[in-house]
Amino acid sequence: MTATTAIPAHRRRKRTPMTWLRGGGLWNLLFLLPMLIVFGVFSWGPIVESVVMSVQKTNFVTTSFVGIDNFVAVFNDPQLATAVTNTAWFALLALIFGYPLPLIVAVLMSEVRRRRGLFSALAYLPVVVPPVVAALLWKRFFDASPHGVFNTIIGWVGIPPQPWIQSASSAMPSIVLEATWAAAGGTIIIYLAALTSVAPELYDAAEVDGAGIWQKIWHVTLPQLRGVLLVTFILQIIGTAQVFLEPFLITGGGPVNSTLTILQLIYRYAFTNSIGGDYGKATALSIMLALVLAAFSFVYFRVTRAWSEN
Amino acid sequence: MKSPGKVAAFAVAALAGVGLLTGCSSGSSDANGKVAITVASLIPGSSPDAFKAFNQHIKDFEKANPDILVKPVEYQWTGPTFSAQLAAGTLPDVFNVPFTDSKSLANAGQLADITSNVKQLSYYDKFNKSLLQVAENDKGDIFGIPYGPYAYGLSYNRALFTKAGLDPNKPPTTWDEVRADAKTISDKLGIAGFMEFTSGNTGGWGLTEMTYARGGRMETTSGSKTTVTADNPQTVDALKFLQQMRWTDNSLGSNFLLDWSGMNQYFGSGQTAMFPSGSDVLTSLVQQDGVKASDYGLALIPTSGANSGVLSGGNVAVVSVGASAAEKAASVKWIDSYYMQKLLDKSAAVTDAKSLVANKQPVGVPQLPIFDKAQLDTSLGWIDSYINVPKSNVAPFQDGIFTQTIIPEPAKHTQELYGALDTVVQAVLTDKNADIPTLLKGVDTQIQALIDADAAKK
Amino acid sequence: MTATSTTQSGVLELSAGARVKKPAKPLPEQSDRSIVSHSDWRKKRVFFGLSALHLALLVLLVLWGIGPLLWLLKSAITPTQDTLQAPMELFPHGVAWSNLWSAWFTVGIGTQFLNTVWVAIGSWFVQLLVATTAGYVLAVLRPAYAKVFNWLVLATLFVPAVVLLVPLYLTILHPPLIGVSLINTFWAVWLPAGANAFNILLVTRFFSNLPREIFEAARTDGAGPLRLFWSIVLPLSRPILGVVSVFAIINAWKDYLWPMLVLTNPAIQPLSVRLPNIQSMTDLGVFLAALAISMIIPIALFLFFQRMFLRSAGLGGAVKG
Repeated sequence: MTATTAIPAHRRRKRTPMTWLRGGGLWNLLFLLPMLIVFGVFSWGPIVESVVMSVQKTNFVTTSFVGIDNFVAVFNDPQLATAVTNTAWFALLALIFGYPLPLIVAVLMSEVRRRRGLFSALAYLPVVVPPVVAALLWKRFFDASPHGVFNTIIGWVGIPPQPWIQSASSAMPSIVLEATWAAAGGTIIIYLAALTSVAPELYDAAEVDGAGIWQKIWHVTLPQLRGVLLVTFILQIIGTAQVFLEPFLITGGGPVNSTLTILQLIYRYAFTNSIGGDYGKATALSIMLALVLAAFSFVYFRVTRAWSEN
Repeated sequence: MKSPGKVAAFAVAALAGVGLLTGCSSGSSDANGKVAITVASLIPGSSPDAFKAFNQHIKDFEKANPDILVKPVEYQWTGPTFSAQLAAGTLPDVFNVPFTDSKSLANAGQLADITSNVKQLSYYDKFNKSLLQVAENDKGDIFGIPYGPYAYGLSYNRALFTKAGLDPNKPPTTWDEVRADAKTISDKLGIAGFMEFTSGNTGGWGLTEMTYARGGRMETTSGSKTTVTADNPQTVDALKFLQQMRWTDNSLGSNFLLDWSGMNQYFGSGQTAMFPSGSDVLTSLVQQDGVKASDYGLALIPTSGANSGVLSGGNVAVVSVGASAAEKAASVKWIDSYYMQKLLDKSAAVTDAKSLVANKQPVGVPQLPIFDKAQLDTSLGWIDSYINVPKSNVAPFQDGIFTQTIIPEPAKHTQELYGALDTVVQAVLTDKNADIPTLLKGVDTQIQALIDADAAKK
Repeated sequence: MTATSTTQSGVLELSAGARVKKPAKPLPEQSDRSIVSHSDWRKKRVFFGLSALHLALLVLLVLWGIGPLLWLLKSAITPTQDTLQAPMELFPHGVAWSNLWSAWFTVGIGTQFLNTVWVAIGSWFVQLLVATTAGYVLAVLRPAYAKVFNWLVLATLFVPAVVLLVPLYLTILHPPLIGVSLINTFWAVWLPAGANAFNILLVTRFFSNLPREIFEAARTDGAGPLRLFWSIVLPLSRPILGVVSVFAIINAWKDYLWPMLVLTNPAIQPLSVRLPNIQSMTDLGVFLAALAISMIIPIALFLFFQRMFLRSAGLGGAVKG
């Protein structure tokens, strides 16, 4: 930031506490105080602490430095591979379910001429349902008995009852289905906003060149959406890598750890051992996950920056 | 325009007021010299009637001890949620942990030492010493009072037995009969005939019971060395039994993610006709799941083979480690009054039973003795006229349990062992081709590593 | 975001980062055309094809968007056994209004309902307070050290929330200076909510695009920093404050993991924490009634403030970061 500060006159003079005070230095600090306290105590502090804790072993009575032992312990935990694979599987399924479909819906919706608001509201409604309510509701839908909600519905068309969340192979896809229901509306609205910001002149120009509807979508719409598509892609990766609520509430990580995600593993390390949690391992795994995600965030940041400057 | 300063000040003041609303601050002494303690009341979701009965007990207690204020807090010990509460210091002054964990917690210094308070109890000498041991640390200091010991029993729904054409007075007495009855019920009623716990560490708990019933053990100790033996023939046998019920008979229903509360609800809503659990489960079934005692039956778990027996466990009433001397004294008084006196004192027993009956709670739920069987029989005699659980319904259990071998739960890293076994039970019930021996070997390796790490530290 | 971004003339343009053309208007009505041109529409094939597609889309969206919610509303007043045995039938054995009554009074989710509101209000206030004051310093007052803090705040955007889980939890147990555990107080949720770099980023960007001439004029008229903040900057910033508020309230209503860890006492738990705890201890019909009650306020808020919600959602993708 170039120092075109609010009070340039004072800056050229010699700085004394008095000039600082007169120049509003105290006010600056006063206004900064809420942020300093809140970020200092609840963000910067804990970030530093997590790095420290990841190389320590503590039971609150004694704390000792253990170097990279926690990281080694995490790597040696057979559950780590399971959790990483499951999380990746969740992310992949979430992309398959939740990435192209909203785009198609958004493109279709952008052509709606009357009551488009109704379409948007319908698509967005699941997003405003609290996620806990959505997860617990869908847990009921997934009831695997022949009298389950989904099993009744598929029974109408002659499909036999499915195990849904009661089988290691179908549990994760079921959860992703729920997560997609809960999130797709948001993605649709983002695409819709981007679609309507495509300059109409581009379409006009394409038509002059004789382009039909499909050509316009291919040569104008999609290239114009490239940025948004990339951003939603990265956001989705960052979000799905931290998935916790849905598998935690719907299956608790089961059956047979088939829906155990990385965040659930962190939670297990820290909080579910009835005779005391292992905070060292939990923070070590958190940091490893964070490093990977920070890389994604960085790309994301660069992308959005690049756009802002366009 | 309102002054910004005033608006901000008002907002901060309002939020500060709400923000500091705390429901359960730990007990403290107030100005009148009274000691306030918070105590674990009932588990969440208990019926208002059950809470009424509990509150009545508090009133009576406060009347008898005018210098103590008791504040109830709903509480439930579950393996996956306990440690967060412990770390956070949000446990009430008096709470309970299972037999499996009290010793570890005591050794880790996370419970209050109440040795002197307990030794002052008039009936201290009468305690079953081997039972009291679960509440002591390695040095022999006392950190809690065991109560409500249970043995595993087979809970069954008499109404569903009748509906399926079975005789509710003849519950199964062998595993083959369990299987046959389950199949009949499942075929006729389209529900689970039988179900086993699967999650929240209870899957391992149940599998351990099924192993004991066949004469196997999950851990064996020789000298100071403990070996995890989950991969034993009896456990394999038990899992094969489940496998057949699931994949050949299809009599286990369709929900394989059931923890303790989930199972009770499953049973309460008539979705399974039988399940093995602690013999004391009826209290919760009535309090939370609306089960009628008249529809409920309790039988022995079939046992067979050398060294077979029934898994038994229980709870320990303990005091929060932060309690002051006065709070400790008050807490032990409460434990004595709430958990113990109904077993020891006729008038306390009658008062308790009366209040339970008035609030539609079950009286006469099968239990094991804390002192000895004669004492238990005497105390049951006092309240005989109040017993509202039909005796004939629990007779199959009650008449046979005292001739059974009672086997305590595995001693080392019990909850972790149970958690690892959850996965095995889930695998058998959700994967037709689950490789039982490999799964069990995996558990052995995993838990043995924890035990060996402990040994290495010493 | 930094002071180098040029001050734009359109004060109410959301920010330099926003690519949404006219964010003041939420929905696409403004563009007079889209992919399909007016002349395309006049072709019969296109007209009928698209209309049919739109109708199909509408039907699907109704099933997708309201179907599950209608099922929940129905089941909230259906006896448990009917929901278990015949979940897709409409009241085969009558209606159980008592479920709603039991959920509210017997199970007592009324308390948690109120707690949820408190959690949302407090988080909203703390977030707004932190974001506006910080944005004011970083974008308007601009002391020499502002840049450092700007980067310190931005840096936290790269740190996913999960890293903070354990250390933040321990901070709540043993907060510095005050020495009293904040566990089981609303502060444990409110204060960490304030440490939201995304809010500060949004507000700072917006503030730095406000015309500085107005500030100078106000200063000349003798307005101090406080008056400038309260009477000029905040009133000019309503659009962005609205967006931050929507995010804050929605997030507070949605959050689960964190409040679950720090609010263990049912008396101050919000619905999101209480509902999972009672699910296996409450009669299914009553539990579904509790779920239905829990979704009513967010849905009502959405229906009332639809435009604001949808605009914020659209921005979510475009400006985040």
